[in-house]
Amino acid sequence: MSEDLKCLSCDAATCSLLEKAKKEKIETVWDRAEAMQPQCGFGEMGLCCTNCGMGPCRIVKVSEDGPKKGICGADEDTIAARNLARAVAAGSAAHSDHGRDIAHALYYAAKNPESGYKVKDSQKLISLAREWGIETENLDEKEIAAKVAELALQEFGKPFGHLRFTERAPKDRLDIWNKMNVTPRAIDRDIVEVLHSTHIGCDADYRNIMMKATRAALCDGWGGSMIGTELSDILFGIPQPHEIEANLGVLKEDEVNIVIHGHEPTLSEAILVAVNDPELIELAQKQGAKGINLVGMCCTGNEIAMRHNVPMAGNFFQQELAIVTGAVDAMVVDVQCIMPALSQVAKCYHTKLITTSPKAIIPGAIHMQFDEARAVESAKRIVQEAVLNFKNRTGNIFIPEIKSKGFVGFSNESIISALDGVTNSFAHPQGTVKPLVDAIKSGVLRGAVAIVGCNNHKVPQDKGHVELAKELIKNDVLVVTTGCGAYACIKEGLMTKEAANLCGKGLSTVCELVKIPPVLHMGSCVDISRILLLLSEVAKYMNVDIKDLPVAGAAPEWMSEKALAIGTYVVASGVYTMLGVAPQITGSENLTRFLTEDVENIYGGKFHIESDPKKAAQKILEHIEAKRKALGI
Amino acid sequence: MTLFDIIFTGSEQALEACKALVEQTIKEYGEDEKVVFPNTAYSLPVIYAATGQKIGTLADLKGALGVIESLIVKEQNLEKALNAGLATAVAAEVIEACKYVGGKNPYEEPCVGFIPDTVIRSLGVPLVTGDIPGVAVVIGEAPSAEVAAKIIKDYQSKGILVTLVGKIIDQAVEAKVKMGLDFRVVPLGYDVTSVIHIVSFAIRAALIFGNVKPGDLPELLKYTKERVPAFVNALGPLSELVVSAGAGAIALGFPVLTDQDVQEVPMNLIVQKDYDKLVQTSLEARGIKIKITEIPIPVGFAPAFEGERVRKDD
Repeated sequence: MSEDLKCLSCDAATCSLLEKAKKEKIETVWDRAEAMQPQCGFGEMGLCCTNCGMGPCRIVKVSEDGPKKGICGADEDTIAARNLARAVAAGSAAHSDHGRDIAHALYYAAKNPESGYKVKDSQKLISLAREWGIETENLDEKEIAAKVAELALQEFGKPFGHLRFTERAPKDRLDIWNKMNVTPRAIDRDIVEVLHSTHIGCDADYRNIMMKATRAALCDGWGGSMIGTELSDILFGIPQPHEIEANLGVLKEDEVNIVIHGHEPTLSEAILVAVNDPELIELAQKQGAKGINLVGMCCTGNEIAMRHNVPMAGNFFQQELAIVTGAVDAMVVDVQCIMPALSQVAKCYHTKLITTSPKAIIPGAIHMQFDEARAVESAKRIVQEAVLNFKNRTGNIFIPEIKSKGFVGFSNESIISALDGVTNSFAHPQGTVKPLVDAIKSGVLRGAVAIVGCNNHKVPQDKGHVELAKELIKNDVLVVTTGCGAYACIKEGLMTKEAANLCGKGLSTVCELVKIPPVLHMGSCVDISRILLLLSEVAKYMNVDIKDLPVAGAAPEWMSEKALAIGTYVVASGVYTMLGVAPQITGSENLTRFLTEDVENIYGGKFHIESDPKKAAQKILEHIEAKRKALGI
Repeated sequence: MTLFDIIFTGSEQALEACKALVEQTIKEYGEDEKVVFPNTAYSLPVIYAATGQKIGTLADLKGALGVIESLIVKEQNLEKALNAGLATAVAAEVIEACKYVGGKNPYEEPCVGFIPDTVIRSLGVPLVTGDIPGVAVVIGEAPSAEVAAKIIKDYQSKGILVTLVGKIIDQAVEAKVKMGLDFRVVPLGYDVTSVIHIVSFAIRAALIFGNVKPGDLPELLKYTKERVPAFVNALGPLSELVVSAGAGAIALGFPVLTDQDVQEVPMNLIVQKDYDKLVQTSLEARGIKIKITEIPIPVGFAPAFEGERVRKDD
C-alpha cells in the first residue's frame, strides 16, 4: 500500500481497491475531488447566490474592491444564510420523504396484502397508536396500522397544530422551541417556507432565515426521521443486538453478490425476502453460483444489518470500489447518496447498476421501478436480473480479504433491555434508563457522544470517525453511532467486546457489566431520531433539559445536506455539535458567529468546527466536564 | 460533592490519620520496632499482596505511606476512584498494624481483630467448595438490634460467613446473636479500619489458594472478584471514610449495599432501604445462588451451627 493512498483513507480494503482502480484507470471520487482543486472560494464561503435570473452574484471578501452586495442588494449574511437554509431544507426533505415512503408502506401493510408488507411489531404499533390517541380497543391490527399510517402521513401537510412527536421532548425544550417559534408544524409546510423565504426579495434577515431553517430541520429529527424510524420498527421489527461482518471482504467470489445501496428499508427488506426465495437460489446455482450473497451499503445497509444478519459491505466512499472488485453482479439502489459516477464504473465491469426509485434515476443505469404495492414481487424481478448476470463475470476479480466483526442492533428498546441486566431485581425498577443515568451521575461514565455523518474527501476517509471514537472511549465516554460513521467504527473493530481494552476503566467496566461494546451502532441516518429519544428519556429521568446533559454530537466527515439538517436539529435540541468539515458559511462572520456562539444562548447547543479529531475530542471532553460541573456531578 | 470527590476526601482523611499515627507510634517505640500481625506468614497482607513488599519495622511502615499517597490521584474517573479506595484499604492496614506494635493485643472479646492464617486455611476449603456460599461484611449500625439480628441470622441460616464492624456488634450482642468463628459470625472491631481484617482474609485467600504472586495487583483483584464471594452491607450514616473504604471493596470486586441515600453505581453500589430485602438484594448483587432445601424443623438448621457447643444451662 503506497503512502499517498493511506492519506486518502485509513481503511485497508479501500486502499487496496484504490490501487486496483488506479491500475485499471477507473476514476473514483478522490480523482474527481483532485480534479476539482482548487474549489471555488465564493462557493466555499457561501457567498455565491444563484437564486434568480439577475445572478449569479458573488460577494468579494478578499479585497477591498469588488461587490459587497448582490444585484438585489442582498449582503453576505443574507446570501450565506439563504444558501445554508436551502441546504438544510433539502436535507430535511430527503429524510422526510423517506419517512413518507415508510408511512405509505405501513398503509400498504394494512390495506394491500399483495404488497408483501406486514406489521412485525404489533406491540410498538399499539403503543404508538395509543400515544397518538387512537382508540385501539375494538380495532384489529390492520385497522390500527391504517390509522397510524394515515396520521403519520397527515404530519406532512396538516393545516394546524404542531408535529405529534415534539410532545416526546422534555417540557423545557418545547418551551424554548415555542418561544423561538421553531416548533415544527407540518413537515412539507416548514420545508416549503424555507424555499419561499429564500426566494429573491423575501427574507433578508439571517437570524430569521436560520429560524426557518431550524424549524425545517426539527421537522426532520422530530418528524420525518422519527416517523421513518418508528414505522420501520413497526413494519420490520425492533433491532436487537447481534454480531455481523463488515467491510468489502464480505463479498464472495463463488456467490451472486448483490449490493443493496441507498436508504429505504422498504426496498432492502423486500430484496432480503427475494434473495431467500428457493427458486431464485436454485436459479443462482444453475448459473454456477453457490448461492446469493446480499450485502449492504450506506444507510439501507445499516437498516438491514440492524434487523438482520446482512453484512455491511462499506460506506459512502466505498461504493465505487465495491464495483471495482469485479465481483458485484448487481448494485441495487434507491435514493440518496448514490454517486451518479457509479454507472460509469459499472460499465467497466460486468456489474449491473439497477435504479429502482422514480425519485432517483441515473443515466446509464438499468431502471427497474420498485413497486411498493407489489414489493416482494418486484424485488424478485430485480434479484433475478442480478442472478442472471453472474455468468457475465470476467476473470478480473479481486476481493480484499479484509473484514471485521462487530455487534450491531442497539435500538433504544434493546439498550434499555440490556440496562435491565444490571439492575437488582430486589432494589430497582426495570425498563428504565436508570442504570445509564446512575453510571453517568456517579462518574463511571463521563458522558456520551454521538458520532454520525458521512465521508468527505476533505479529510481522510474514516479517520475522523475512528480517531474521535477512540479518544472518547479512552476517556470513559460512551459512543453511539449511526450512518457511515458506524461503518468506520465497525470496520475498525470498535463494536467488539475486545474494544473494551481501548476504553478507560469506567467505560470498560460498563461494557463488561452491560455486555455491550463501547461503540453502539444505533442504525441509519434517520435512526438519529433514536438518539434524540434516548436523550429525552435520560433528560426526563434526571429532571433536566437535554442541553444540561454531558453529551455531544459529532459529524467528523459530513458532506450531505442531510448532515446539515441533522446538525441543525441536534443543535436546536440542545446539543453541542462538532463538525469536522467547515460548512459553507465562513464568508459571513455574523452567520458563523451566530451558529458557533450565539445559538448556545438560545438552544443550549452550538456548532464547533475542528477537523483534527484529537483536538475535537479534547473540546468535546472539556464540554462534557463543564456540563457535569454545572449539574454538580 | 461528586461521588468520586467523597472517595478522594475519605482517602485523604485515611492518609492523614495514618501519617499521624505512624509518627506517634515511632515516637513511642522508635523506628526499629517490629511491626507484625499475630500468626501470619504474610506480613501486612494487603501491602504484601499489592506491592510484594514485606513490612518488618516501623521504618518500613513509614515508607509504605508513599504507596498510599501514590494511589490518591484526584482525577475524575473510575480508575482513580478505585485506586483511592485501595489507598484507604492500605491506610486501614497501616493503622491496624500500629495497634499491634509492641506486642500488644488490642482486641478483646467479642472482637477478634486480625484473623490468623490457620483460620483462613480451615475456612478456605468450605469457601472453595461453596459450603460457605458468601462472606457478608456488615458495617455500621442497623436501625435497631432486632433488625441487626434478623439480617445476621438470615445470612447465618444461609451458611454465609458474617463479619461485623462497628456498632452493629453491640446490637448483635444485645439481640443475643451467638457469635464466634464456630457460628460464622465474626465481630471484627468497632473502628472502621478493623474492616481491613476481613479484606486481608480475602487477600490471603488469593495468596494461599489462588497462588497469586505478591505484587501482582491486577491478578489479585481478578482473583478476589471472581473467587471470593464477599459483599458489604454499610448500614447507618456513611462518613467519607466509609464511602472511600467502600470504593476499596468495589476495587476488589465486592459490591456495596447501603440503606443510605448515595449515588448508586449499577451492580456495585446499591441502595436498599427495605431491610427485609437487604439479604436477597445482596446475594443477587454478588451473584450468590443458594440452593435451599427447607426442612420444617423448629430450630435453625445450617452448617453454621455445626461447631455449636450446648452448655449445661442451655
